[in-house]
Amino acid sequence: MTIEKRPNATADKNAPTQAPRVPAVERDRGPKLPGPPGVPGTERFRLLAYVKQESMVRVDKRPDETVLTWPHLLRAEFLMALLISVLLVVASVFIHAPLEEMANAGVTPHVAKAPWYFLGLQELLSYFNATVGGVLLPTLYLVGLAVIPYIDRSPYKAARDRKTAWVFFMSLMLGGLLITLIGSFFRGPGWNWVWPWDGIYFTL
Amino acid sequence: MTFPGPGDLMRVVRESSVWRSLFRQPYPTTSRTRALAVMNNVFLHLHPVRVKKHAVRYTYTFCLGGVSFFLFLVLTVTGVYLMFFYVPSVTRAYQDILSIENSVAFGTFVRNMHRWGAHLMVLTVFLHMIRVFYHGAYKPPREFNWVIGVVLLFCTLWLSFTGYLLPWDQIAFWAITVGTQMATYAPLLSRESSFILLGGVEVGQGTLIRFYVMHVIAFPLIVAILLVVHFWRIRKDGGVSGPV
Amino acid sequence: MTHLPTYGEVPGAPVGEMSRRSFMRRIFWVGAGILSIEFLAGTLNFLWPNVRSGLGGKFTIGTAADIASTQPTWTQGQPFGFSKARVFFINVPASEALVGGSNETVADPGANVLALYRKCPHLGCNIPPLCDKSHWFECLCHGSKYNIIGEKRAGPAPRGMDRFAVTVTDGVYGIDTSAIVAGPPIGTATFDPRDTTTIPHCAA
Repeated sequence: MTIEKRPNATADKNAPTQAPRVPAVERDRGPKLPGPPGVPGTERFRLLAYVKQESMVRVDKRPDETVLTWPHLLRAEFLMALLISVLLVVASVFIHAPLEEMANAGVTPHVAKAPWYFLGLQELLSYFNATVGGVLLPTLYLVGLAVIPYIDRSPYKAARDRKTAWVFFMSLMLGGLLITLIGSFFRGPGWNWVWPWDGIYFTL
Repeated sequence: MTFPGPGDLMRVVRESSVWRSLFRQPYPTTSRTRALAVMNNVFLHLHPVRVKKHAVRYTYTFCLGGVSFFLFLVLTVTGVYLMFFYVPSVTRAYQDILSIENSVAFGTFVRNMHRWGAHLMVLTVFLHMIRVFYHGAYKPPREFNWVIGVVLLFCTLWLSFTGYLLPWDQIAFWAITVGTQMATYAPLLSRESSFILLGGVEVGQGTLIRFYVMHVIAFPLIVAILLVVHFWRIRKDGGVSGPV
Repeated sequence: MTHLPTYGEVPGAPVGEMSRRSFMRRIFWVGAGILSIEFLAGTLNFLWPNVRSGLGGKFTIGTAADIASTQPTWTQGQPFGFSKARVFFINVPASEALVGGSNETVADPGANVLALYRKCPHLGCNIPPLCDKSHWFECLCHGSKYNIIGEKRAGPAPRGMDRFAVTVTDGVYGIDTSAIVAGPPIGTATFDPRDTTTIPHCAA
């Protein structure tokens, strides 16, 4: 960024009353730099020579890359909040939250399931020994998620540039989804396999 | 003689010292005043004045983080409403839910909203995490913000889980019994951790009050603090991560 | 490149010596660390449940004659459900006779009794009364099965049924529920080692 000197009454008397006309091309080249001492002809090289082509392009593009938060971002956020609100209000008017009879420690219902996000874990418990399925795997899952940025040090960001990471992550996610779905909709009394069309044992 | 109209009234209000002390600038209509509005307003200044174009596109973020935050606010508000009618006691809790359902105006509606909002929030937090992974948005310098995000995911699950017990019906009781029994499989201090978690040997009054306190104040506070750090770091790292 | 002093740089102690400042800093952090640990321990101590009544306390059941008057089948081996402590109170010799098929009755088993905790060690479901078909305890939730003295026979449970310590003073049985005694590990078969596939069951 350059600060242009404005004509000013208190300025140097010897200065020209009018700023010298410099062509735009000359201004953009930046200041003339002194070359190595004693080498004639080098003092005229320009800063332009140091600037890589791409960054020049980016500098030129910058004004188009951003928009004002007010109104653009705020409008987007408002519309999304509106959409979610409408969705929630409609759901809350028409679908009622489940409520069964009062808790009774003496009577276990035929199907005792954890909340839906733990049903994958409950399904795991039916495959593995308790310590592995109930503690080791879920702990590994959470800790594994947390340390992803310290393991994946590749500089690439786009999913297409890091297919292995993406496939690995998505198979974990989809695997979790799969066992959660099995635990939710395919398990009935006694944690036995029940097809959804034979009865759904699931409460939200 | 002309009578003053509503426009004149509005003008008087707008020029009053009270109004001008509330709003330090006129309604922003120019780029300059809009920028100032975002900069000077404590709520809006969560955002930078200008944002990258792609960050505004719905199909880039799907607003998943924002929706999760919005749902957190919805759950806070509906939760406060419910607290007016709910006593965390094994003899009263279930009756209170019944009275919220049957005799409180809009009680069923507020309870439904709290429930569906909670389930939706668990879902959006998960989807937000997948979106962030897809864009590699945890890459330096954002590594630690991802870790905070994972902690927030855990807090979301824990908030939902503690809230699940509060209606004190059969679903709640046995879901929490089954859920906490999984904790006893820990190789170390399993019995102790389950004892301190449940406030007793099994799910009962001790559990209800513990889960209630964690649900209505302890974890919402923790989440609020973590959210501040989460947002602050996003802001300092240049907003929504760049397009890929 | 020469080292330029940074603005505000604090002159430190000579290399290899600890300045007063860094000594004070170290003392501060050590103190803060100790205080944090104390705070954490104090919090855990504060939150430690103070169970005075209900499960977690001591219960008195009565003498063998008291139990027999409440439930005469106890002398024939049927478990006595003592709901206050959530236990099955087992008359071991009579129960072994019942499973063995004889009609022997034991009026007073003495100290040869067991207080089996009704909470299934698998996922905490309530274990229903003895299954008449198999003479086993069969959890309907996830299908864990135990013989009449609480040893695991089938299903996903990680061990046998948990139990409480029983005291006998002057023939009066008491149960101390403050400490849960973990059930015998999988594979323990001191009695009734029937194969799960050869007998009819209540739970799937």
